[in-house]
Amino acid sequence: MLCENIVSDILSAAVSGGAGFAEVFEEKTVKDSLSLINGKTDSALSGVEAGVGIRIIEGEKVVYVYTNKTDRESLLKLAQNGAQMLKGINKSGAYSFDKTDYSLKTLYPAEILPSEVKKEEIAAILKTGSDTAFKYDKRITQTSFSYLASTQNVLIANTEGLWATDERTRTRVFINAVASDEREKQNGYFGPGAMKGFEFLRDLDIVGLSNEAARVAVTMLTAGACPSGRFPVIIDNGFGGVIFHEACGHGLEAAAVSKGASVFAGKIGKQIANPKVSAYDDGTIVNAWGSVNVDDEGHPSQKNLLIENGILKGYMVDRFNGARMGAAATGSSRRQSYKFMPVSRMTNTYIAPGTDSRDDIIASTKFGIYAKYMGGGSVNPASGEFNFAVNEGYIIRDGKICEPVRGATLIGKGSQVLTDIDMVSSDLKLAEGMCGASSGSIPVCVGQPMIRVKEITVGGRG
Amino acid sequence: MEIKEFTKKLFASAKEAGIEQYELYYMQEGSLRVSAYNGEIEKFSQSQTGGFGFRGIINGKTGNFYSESLSEDIIPLAIKGVITNCEVTGTEEKQELFPGSEVYPKVETYFPELNKISAEDKARFALLAEKTAKEFSPEIESVNTSLCDSGEAENYLANSLGLELESKSNYIVALVELTARKGEEVKEKGDIYIGHCFDEEKAKALAISAAKKAVSALGGTGVQSGKKRVIFKNEAFCDILATFADNFSGESARKGFSLLTGKIGEKIASEKITLWDRPLLKDGYASSAFDSEGVACYDKSVIEKGVLKTFLHNLKSAAYFKTKSTGNGFKPSYKGAVGVSATNFFIEKGETDFDGLLEKMQNGIIVTEVEGLHAGANVVSGDFSLAAEGFMVENGKITHPVEQITIAGNFYELLKTIAQVGNDLYFNSSAVGSPSLMFEDISVSGL
Repeated sequence: MLCENIVSDILSAAVSGGAGFAEVFEEKTVKDSLSLINGKTDSALSGVEAGVGIRIIEGEKVVYVYTNKTDRESLLKLAQNGAQMLKGINKSGAYSFDKTDYSLKTLYPAEILPSEVKKEEIAAILKTGSDTAFKYDKRITQTSFSYLASTQNVLIANTEGLWATDERTRTRVFINAVASDEREKQNGYFGPGAMKGFEFLRDLDIVGLSNEAARVAVTMLTAGACPSGRFPVIIDNGFGGVIFHEACGHGLEAAAVSKGASVFAGKIGKQIANPKVSAYDDGTIVNAWGSVNVDDEGHPSQKNLLIENGILKGYMVDRFNGARMGAAATGSSRRQSYKFMPVSRMTNTYIAPGTDSRDDIIASTKFGIYAKYMGGGSVNPASGEFNFAVNEGYIIRDGKICEPVRGATLIGKGSQVLTDIDMVSSDLKLAEGMCGASSGSIPVCVGQPMIRVKEITVGGRG
Repeated sequence: MEIKEFTKKLFASAKEAGIEQYELYYMQEGSLRVSAYNGEIEKFSQSQTGGFGFRGIINGKTGNFYSESLSEDIIPLAIKGVITNCEVTGTEEKQELFPGSEVYPKVETYFPELNKISAEDKARFALLAEKTAKEFSPEIESVNTSLCDSGEAENYLANSLGLELESKSNYIVALVELTARKGEEVKEKGDIYIGHCFDEEKAKALAISAAKKAVSALGGTGVQSGKKRVIFKNEAFCDILATFADNFSGESARKGFSLLTGKIGEKIASEKITLWDRPLLKDGYASSAFDSEGVACYDKSVIEKGVLKTFLHNLKSAAYFKTKSTGNGFKPSYKGAVGVSATNFFIEKGETDFDGLLEKMQNGIIVTEVEGLHAGANVVSGDFSLAAEGFMVENGKITHPVEQITIAGNFYELLKTIAQVGNDLYFNSSAVGSPSLMFEDISVSGL
């Protein structure tokens, strides 16, 4: 990683065009992946990503330059190029730093680094999963299993004397089983992950998850089409939390709020959700997939209350957009890599446990849809219009879960659906995903207990 | 080019380590982006990045490694990475690298006049687009993004069979995203330009197009659920075609994931449908003379008048099906292994103009936009259920916008049941193209 002298010189060059703030972000990431198709290792890859991003801020203007040529000369030249874009009084100087190494008191210790693991061991575990899925039912015709692990080392330093370093090790597995009959194919899929090393894979219930993926595929193969129209929908815990992520979470990011491009801008202290809804974004959960010790502009992560009993309490704020909207940073500034300028993003975002019981939620629903597993979704934060997919759904009739249905998508507007969440159980569970936005694709958790939305548009083919 | 020196050293080490065949794929990119906000230049971004992918073959098995660092100390890591990864792979088909095609087509991918567009020009375009959009209508509330970006890339490919190829490309991108408001209702829309020449007129046209989309979408209503006639606007169908394009990949077929496996020569679509992969297309965003394995690119129909003619292949999938690579063995970047990608991939246009489609539909819905493709579409089964919006059409005329609807169907059934093909071929930013298409019977969910 870069030494103090070089960083000081880069920062000095970066503010030579007249800027109030400059920051250096350096990363070195080692990645490993392995994929099995139908139980055979199909590809194996390893790689090294390394580079430096330099951010220069003056008032409401920002310059971002990045490169993977990390010699002193190239970096200084790039910083000077960036500085020239801002015309003002040269503020160059020498910087000294107050150093914090966040990896010494980490939220996510990794016992076995990915680099220390034999790929044969990984392949063997994935093979067990694939064999399990094939054994589950003769209609399972294909499987794909893959493994992704990375260790990212970062250095963040700025003209305020900040110097933060961190090490982030992540491990994730994708489990996919395809069921076929003469006419068609359906699949069941899981993608568990954690801020852990190989121990995550070693301890994972690969057999249970592979059986479950196979079960979903076979169930969906025989399921009928989901009806269309507006119904009550019960969304189960875990990945069901994608509804909050899309319907509300993105709209609470400062990037949208500071430009007024969010339906939730200017609504702090106002009732925006049903009083049964409280929600957090918490980057401090031990070993959780979306956690960070320190965000990508050097703020320690924190547990941020977003909504309390339906009342909007806070946003997720980064330095640049925080300055524009007069709000303090909340440890939410993230980026995929040095190739992206950091911006406010989610970490682990969830609806807090409520007081309804699962049984009551189902029993009190006369007709509706039960969404056992959700797929991903997307949202337009400006209009609040969101959509997300149901991977495994069932009809609820007279308070009972009945036949499975396939191909359902739920759509709505965020502000409306938050008000329409009328029951919240107590069984909070988190699930892992990747979230894409302007600063790239980053790991996040979504989560919730089982909830009911009293009415939402369900798009199916029936 | 320092990469050639690096390649020599890397190849010497690979040979010494007993790697039987080896290949380096290098890519270097630079870009310069200017963004306007509220009448000022808000963001400026410049980059210079690159890296190499290295693959080696031992006993017919492939291992891959990549790095963004080109320092000499990475060489031992690259050799070790490839050997370790070779040891663990288990495919049965013997892998081989490609010695080179006899001839390579000439494709224009580098436009020197683009270099004349300076950072100041880009700032002017971005500011002009922002201003034009704001002045379009009082209902335009804010222009959240107005940016102009240019980039260029250099590729270098060399292998131990003596192959050595180079290419260079550049482009300019402009993007406008804005919101329109009427009371409590907000719509955010955008438009993007990708190409090889840009000027003030194009900046204005882009802004007006984005602003029109947003303003015309205000005041949308729901629709009664049911089966309806639907015209997919060209842009919307591009997104659907792109989502299911992987089913035409020989890699998907090899792995058994494509429902088209074993259907070469069969009728899988209406005879109104001809689907092209044309890497030699003039001014195409994905035009290329050779793929990431060094195989010469050529134009081909994938579906001709409804009949499936070929899958798109790389060396590996071609070997599996005992055929030749179609020159579609592309890498997404220097990272990752070679996969299969289409180039300029599009449905051939028909003869009916958009008004003619409306006339033929009489009553139904125009879908201008679909959302949630990464989740609401099942690439394997072809099933989709997607959030959508567009316009209501009554008696052949557009009456009002519609929103908060979903459309559901199956991609393979769509291909078979196309009723009309428009003449307004459009390419999206992923080089996937389609004209507007009309269908008789689509499930629409709304009220």
